[in-house]
Amino acid sequence: MRSIDIHAHISPEGYIRAVEAGEEWYGISGMSHEFHRAVPRTMWTPEQRITDMDSLGVDVHVLSTNAVFYCYDGDANTVAAMDWECNDYVSQLTKDHPDRFAGLANLPMQDVSAAATELERAMTQLGLKGAMIDDSVNGKTYDEPEFYPVWEVAEQTGAVILVHQGMQTVVGDRSTRYHLPNTIGNLVERAITYASFVFGGVMDKYPGLRVCLSHGGGYTCFGAGRMDRGWQVRSEARVNISQPPSAYLDRFWYDCLTHSEPALRMLIDSVGVDKVVFGTDWPFDMQIDWPVSWVLGLESLTQEEKEAILYRNLENLLGI
Amino acid sequence: MRSIDIHAHSTPQCFQRAVLAGNEWHGMTAADGELFNPRNAWTPDQRIADMNSIGIDIQVVSTNAGFYQYDRDVAVTTAIARDCNDEIHQMTMDYPDRLAGLANIPMQDASAAVAELDRAVHQLGFKGAMIGDQVNGKTFDEPEFLPVWQAAEQMGAVIFIHQGGGTIGTKRQPRYHVRNTIGNLADRAVTFAAFTFGGVMDKCPDLKVLLAHGGGYACFGIGRMDRGWQVRSEARVNIDQPPSNYLDKFYYDCLTHSEPALRMLIDSVGIDRVVLGTDWPADMKIDWPVSWVMGLKSLTQDEKEAILWKNLEKMLGL
Repeated sequence: MRSIDIHAHISPEGYIRAVEAGEEWYGISGMSHEFHRAVPRTMWTPEQRITDMDSLGVDVHVLSTNAVFYCYDGDANTVAAMDWECNDYVSQLTKDHPDRFAGLANLPMQDVSAAATELERAMTQLGLKGAMIDDSVNGKTYDEPEFYPVWEVAEQTGAVILVHQGMQTVVGDRSTRYHLPNTIGNLVERAITYASFVFGGVMDKYPGLRVCLSHGGGYTCFGAGRMDRGWQVRSEARVNISQPPSAYLDRFWYDCLTHSEPALRMLIDSVGVDKVVFGTDWPFDMQIDWPVSWVLGLESLTQEEKEAILYRNLENLLGI
Repeated sequence: MRSIDIHAHSTPQCFQRAVLAGNEWHGMTAADGELFNPRNAWTPDQRIADMNSIGIDIQVVSTNAGFYQYDRDVAVTTAIARDCNDEIHQMTMDYPDRLAGLANIPMQDASAAVAELDRAVHQLGFKGAMIGDQVNGKTFDEPEFLPVWQAAEQMGAVIFIHQGGGTIGTKRQPRYHVRNTIGNLADRAVTFAAFTFGGVMDKCPDLKVLLAHGGGYACFGIGRMDRGWQVRSEARVNIDQPPSNYLDKFYYDCLTHSEPALRMLIDSVGIDRVVLGTDWPADMKIDWPVSWVMGLKSLTQDEKEAILWKNLEKMLGL
């Protein structure tokens, strides 16, 4: 039985050298350097990563650069150059270790045409499988028409768009304590992103677009009933869509990173087991510690469901 | 079989008389009070007639959340709260078998809030108070609110949590009613977390906190809160147990608009913690609430009765 992890992060080698030398890298330093030093596994070499994957029983990492490299508020040309290096690095790793790594691109979303161009390069020249993007770009959500060119390229090239929050979430405005900006905030962000794609009409406009929501899609499946009620009673919720938002649940993919068996069970029952994939958040403290073991041990899942999550769905989705 | 609804709002007639005559009411205008919904203008008689039609025996009435007014001068907010509470009190006197009350209290000043809660419970016979998820940006783990919780605990008053004004979702996505349909549920999860991680539930073990909208995302998202508590020291500063251990310390209304979500809520917090709440008369309410509960296939008859009336009968002494 294989296992393919779509939610596994990496920091490019060029950046790690900059951290070790205490230097800037495309303008990145300071907090990001401290963050990397605080989580030693972010600095591991590809070989150390593979050794850890072996110990965990994970066969394939679909690598995405860490969210600190979004840099959507940075100078677009500088960030595009950084993304180019990130994506070349990940591409090279997938060529050096084709059985162990696949890759997702980092995109300069503050410059939509540059983002679309880089996604196309990633898909047609670098052999990557898609891209990882934040839940919003400098406050803009993905219902904004300015992002259409990215969805258009993604649809044409078959790229998977993995959505994963950046360094701050909306909960941070309310409370910064107890790690709530992450433990509640990530899940709120993902629900808002689902709502933005769906209520914004993006899923109708791009029926072939493949969006994978990390962290199990956050609160989306649990809260779909209230979104439906909003759609029923409020005209502003119906401006772009003629079906209730719950009708779009099976249009997305979701990783299994729920930290809860009942929540994962509800996700599967809501979206269909063919839309739930394996995602662990390696190498961070909020990861699933022994992810293959966790999935295999879930009593409320059938063997077929476990295999669909661990590898079959991502084999189909990514062609690996 | 009875039915008791903890989540039912009112726009005070005294407010309506003033603003519809073109006057201000404690600085509030006709734009406040949700009068775009004609049912908010209904008289108590019309309310009772509607309750009869939907099979609700008792409403525990709170004002609409627009009457919180926590950002005003405390004397003004207190005057608003007193007028609101006096009117709801009169409604409960006129219909003692059909209506009970939840107070407004000026939360921006804990001692003023305690004083009005005390008056509401001891002089007006109210069952507790409805408050927002935050007060001018402050969450309920702030020590300044502790006197309110201690007073509520001592009085046996229920603290009903219901958002007011903007939510966590408003700034990120102002369109599609998401500020309500996602924001309310996000706010409630943060409030669960503020009470729990903040240590309030340990300090006040008998405090009765009732989270509207099914507690929002609290039960579904508890696994990730537990993981955060396990790996982050800042999540453990006030509590020695994981946050999931506190799920059954709260009460929750059944306003999920989803049978699987309600089923998960019951399975997570225990059937004795889930009560009927409809959000009458807002558009986001449950339309035929008793009918909806009675028709749920995944609930037993005992569970339906616990939700419809038994839990609130016991909790509120009705």
